[in-house]
Amino acid sequence: MSAEAAVDVELKDVRRAFGATQALRGVSLAVHAGEVYGLVGPDGAGKTTSIRLMAGLLLPDAGQVRTLSEDPAAPRSHVRESLGLVPQRNTLYGDLSVEENLRFFARLFALSKEDFAERRARLLDITRLGRFTDRRADALSGGMYKKLALACALLHRPRVLLLDEPTNGVDPVSRRELWELLYGLVHEGMTLIVSTPYMDEAARCHRVGLLYAGELIAQGAPRELTRAHGVAASDFEAVFLALVEKHTGGRAA
Amino acid sequence: MTTPTRRGSATLGRILAMAGKEVLHIRRDIRTLYLALAMPVLMLVLFGFGISFDVDHLELAVVDQDRTDLSRALVRQVTASGEFVAIEDGTSPEAALQQLRRGHAAGVLLLPHGFAEDVQRGTAQVQLLVDGADGNTATQALAKAQALVEVASRQLLGAGAPVQAPPLEVRVRTLFNPDARSAMFLVPGLAAYLLAIVAVIITALTVAREWERGSMEQLFATPVGRLEIVVGKLLPYLGIGVLQVLLVLTVGAWVFDVPVRGSLVALGLGALLFLVGMLGQGLLISVVTRNQMVATQVATISSVLPSMLLSGFIFPIENLPLPLKVISTVIPARYFVSTLRGVLLRGNGLDVLWPQLLALALFAVFVLVLATRRFQRRLD
Repeated sequence: MSAEAAVDVELKDVRRAFGATQALRGVSLAVHAGEVYGLVGPDGAGKTTSIRLMAGLLLPDAGQVRTLSEDPAAPRSHVRESLGLVPQRNTLYGDLSVEENLRFFARLFALSKEDFAERRARLLDITRLGRFTDRRADALSGGMYKKLALACALLHRPRVLLLDEPTNGVDPVSRRELWELLYGLVHEGMTLIVSTPYMDEAARCHRVGLLYAGELIAQGAPRELTRAHGVAASDFEAVFLALVEKHTGGRAA
Repeated sequence: MTTPTRRGSATLGRILAMAGKEVLHIRRDIRTLYLALAMPVLMLVLFGFGISFDVDHLELAVVDQDRTDLSRALVRQVTASGEFVAIEDGTSPEAALQQLRRGHAAGVLLLPHGFAEDVQRGTAQVQLLVDGADGNTATQALAKAQALVEVASRQLLGAGAPVQAPPLEVRVRTLFNPDARSAMFLVPGLAAYLLAIVAVIITALTVAREWERGSMEQLFATPVGRLEIVVGKLLPYLGIGVLQVLLVLTVGAWVFDVPVRGSLVALGLGALLFLVGMLGQGLLISVVTRNQMVATQVATISSVLPSMLLSGFIFPIENLPLPLKVISTVIPARYFVSTLRGVLLRGNGLDVLWPQLLALALFAVFVLVLATRRFQRRLD
């Protein structure tokens, strides 16, 4: 990733509330093309809201959201043709098989038969789901389900892939496999935005944004952040806790 | 650059993808098919046999105080058709009234002392008491009994009594349903009622399920448009609805001898427009509620009550109070019941039924536009 890489996703002073709850309080961030950007924070920090805003699934109350230089929530936006989303919840069709889910999403993205055949074979290969094509989605293990969701989101070769806590509820082996998969995609030039509550996963990202109570309390490369706080590169949790304490004046400690 | 042809083909592909997915859901959830196909037929048979306004075999307490050949002949004449059955044949009006009070008799026929002599003089009177607690039965019993007594008296008096011909005589002939069978006018109404319920509930359920399970989020992240989602989701249920119509009409003809005398084009068009309107109503409910349980309740209330009470299915629209009459003008079941009766019983075609079809089309367009507008591609 070069320093001059184009900005694929940008949030400018974005605010969003749900009733009396302020989910985002003026968040600004920019994600460059080919980058793995981690949105790291505890539950309720505003990670899912940020991802949904980037995907155009929510409108901001104030501020601006740009994804691939477009307003993703605009009615005639073409962003979705270049965007992949793996939501936090299990949102695939549980009563449909692996094959039927893949085929359905391929048709929504208007893939030709040839393109689908080629991508299906590749995705089944890299996700190792080839043996389970007839299995219903709701009969898959947590890890396999996430891989299927990833495969469905990758069928149309998106430029930007949004992953909302993709490793949530996934065993350590599947987690490692998922991250290997994601790195493979970055090598192909894809931009990845991954939200996670796991601090150890922050180290896997090129840059991270630390979200706390709807605010972006720090942003930067994981190594720079750990170095600035004088802790080991693997101890990202210490960085996060220190930043939260500084941000809240010790009230959250 | 994407050409219009390619866009059109992608749109069609996405609609078919949505429809195909829905078919898979239906195939894997046999309850939906049961609800859609078996329930209307079952309910049609049960309701068709269960609901009847036909007055037949009504118990009549006869008080014959005259006990002459003429009085007995009159009673025989009145009960000969089987519409009335004499259950009490005594001379005490009190005993007969007791039967009426206890609900054992629907009416009392009283032939007083000196009836035969009065007949000869041309001043005979018989008294008929009917149970007004059941208004519908009372009205019909009264009309039938009056007609029967009148006919019987004409025949009995042929022997020489001075009978004056009235200056004006009305000769009544009931067209389209000469035997006045309840099933003939109930089955078309019942068909509309059942289709309304099933179509609205199934659609409300399936779309609300997508919200509840979160799959809408996944759909909204793809290029599929809201109209493509709406049309794709509704198409399979429209197909099921058409099957329902055919099934209900077949059962109506087979079990209840309900004919199809009019235009099949008007029937098909009416059914299609009505179904689209009902599916649109279900969609609107699910878009607003986004919850299966609430959607089912709202769908049930908004389809059951209006299509039963305000459609003319049971209660004639003309008899409704003015406010309800006004409300009934926006109830599509009203126009579909009218279309069905027009085609099935009166033998009507498009030339007569176009206002009903226009009303159904307007409702379908209105509700679909409203549902699509409310159906935002966002999660908020």
